[in-house]
Amino acid sequence: MNTKMRLLKREFDYQILILPVLIFYLLFCVYPFLSTFYYSFTDYSNMKLTNLKFVGLENFRSIFDSDLLMISIKNSLIYALLMTVFQTTFGLILAVFLDRKLKTKNILRSMFFLPAVFSPLIIGYLWSYLMSTSDFGLINSAITALGFEKINFLGNPDLALYSVVFTQLWQWTGWAMVIFLANLQSIPKDLYEAAEIDGANSWRKFWKVTLPLMQPSVNVVAVTAMIGGLKVFDIIFALTEGGPGNSTETIMTAYIKTVFNEGFYAKGAAFGVVFFIAVMMITMVMMSFLRKWGENTR
Amino acid sequence: MSSKLVRKWGNPLFELCMIVAAVITFIPIYYLIVTTFKTPEDATLFPLALPSSLNFANYMEAWTTMQYPRVFLNTLIVTVTSVLGIVLFSSMAAYSLARRNHAFNRFLFMFFLAGMMVPFQMGLVNLYKLINALGLMDHLAAVTVVNIGTGSIIAIFLFHSFFLSSVPIELEEAAFIDGCSVFKTFWLIAFPLLKPVIATVVILSTLNVWNDFMNPLLFLQSRDNNVILLEVFRNVGQFSVDWTSLFPMLLMGVAPLMIFYLAMQKYIIKGVAAGALKG
Repeated sequence: MNTKMRLLKREFDYQILILPVLIFYLLFCVYPFLSTFYYSFTDYSNMKLTNLKFVGLENFRSIFDSDLLMISIKNSLIYALLMTVFQTTFGLILAVFLDRKLKTKNILRSMFFLPAVFSPLIIGYLWSYLMSTSDFGLINSAITALGFEKINFLGNPDLALYSVVFTQLWQWTGWAMVIFLANLQSIPKDLYEAAEIDGANSWRKFWKVTLPLMQPSVNVVAVTAMIGGLKVFDIIFALTEGGPGNSTETIMTAYIKTVFNEGFYAKGAAFGVVFFIAVMMITMVMMSFLRKWGENTR
Repeated sequence: MSSKLVRKWGNPLFELCMIVAAVITFIPIYYLIVTTFKTPEDATLFPLALPSSLNFANYMEAWTTMQYPRVFLNTLIVTVTSVLGIVLFSSMAAYSLARRNHAFNRFLFMFFLAGMMVPFQMGLVNLYKLINALGLMDHLAAVTVVNIGTGSIIAIFLFHSFFLSSVPIELEEAAFIDGCSVFKTFWLIAFPLLKPVIATVVILSTLNVWNDFMNPLLFLQSRDNNVILLEVFRNVGQFSVDWTSLFPMLLMGVAPLMIFYLAMQKYIIKGVAAGALKG
């Protein structure tokens, strides 16, 4: 009886260990997330905090009427897609290059990684000066010195989003590189020797040996770049605040504007639900796509 | 002949190209650093030249305008408490989830993992109301508790896989036979074996928490309670014209992490890679 009690207490103690983190998770992640679904069907706003009425799908319909929200979805998709493709590609190229026997390998690696340590907010302010069209804009000074017209990187609605992407590729490619490098170093060297004996050149070795074995890191980098891209906020806030016009509004900046500036809580909640469904679908599609790619190359 | 040439000069030439690429990548940060020492005229005329003198006046001014010691301390408090909470609570939970693999715990583990895909920012309004209701608004603790909630998801995952792959269960069984409680076994036997993965979690969460802007923006309103990034944000509005005053603030905004990186780069690079690939 005594040992039985003791064993039971032991099981109980084990469950107690989970409790603290579960409370934090439930309170500050799960509860706000789930209640968003509830509010998305009500008329909740800063003008109407109590006596909420059920309004059906009205909030979801109003998303389609809002230029700000529709453009922000489009921009976020473009942004996330570009970040995913180029961060993965450039990171991979950089990693393969730095995996060669170079004397300065470690310093180069640290230099490429450095921007990833900084806050995107401050990086954003820095680049807003670098890309500025005024006299102190470093990039435009270089362009005019070479005899070309100034480029309004952040003020031109057709260009602004791509300028933001550029700064973020500058910041995060090194991060991707580090993950790819770790994966590269785990590939057994005898695989390359075997491929060499079969007469493979370095290009073939990359396609047939390296890339298939890089699947774990490509998965991680691509999926996090996609989810992180859809959630982008700080850099936009610092560089363009969504402008000019709505040309760089993203899901998060539009959400913050709708909710905290305009006070349309329920509309924001519906937008959040759409955002959640979009992220889930995109992640699922990407993962199954990456899994198929992994199976095909094997 | 040409292949001989390639063999002899190919690699050094390639290395030179990589160095040039790295230097170009570094220019924005170099520019940030040198500009802090210059007058506006110098900075406009010779943007990339080394400063003619080491003029620290800009820094002194930024130091007092930003009330740097206070914001630094606030950021430090938020980061240390968040990271401590994440490491302690996540490792506890992961220990139990790894050692007690019954259906309920398997469900809980999946429940935590699912959080990796959910954009929790979509619930910000409700989170805001909750923080208000808990009386945490404008307290550093507000940012800490939210960070622990969101930051623990990946940490639980990393600790869990480390327990399964690298922490032998035999020691714990022996301790239990000797009458050690679960808490004691975890704290005295399992926890000390977690050092490598603790390093990874500490590094990843420190970068995340220190650089987090949205939570302080929403939950810390008064100037006494703001963090470095909020102070930079506040001053950018006022100093956007006077940009040589602003640059030292930007640099002082990133300086703590830059020093952290220079001192620990080996571990940081390792930690980032381990955090991504241990899944």
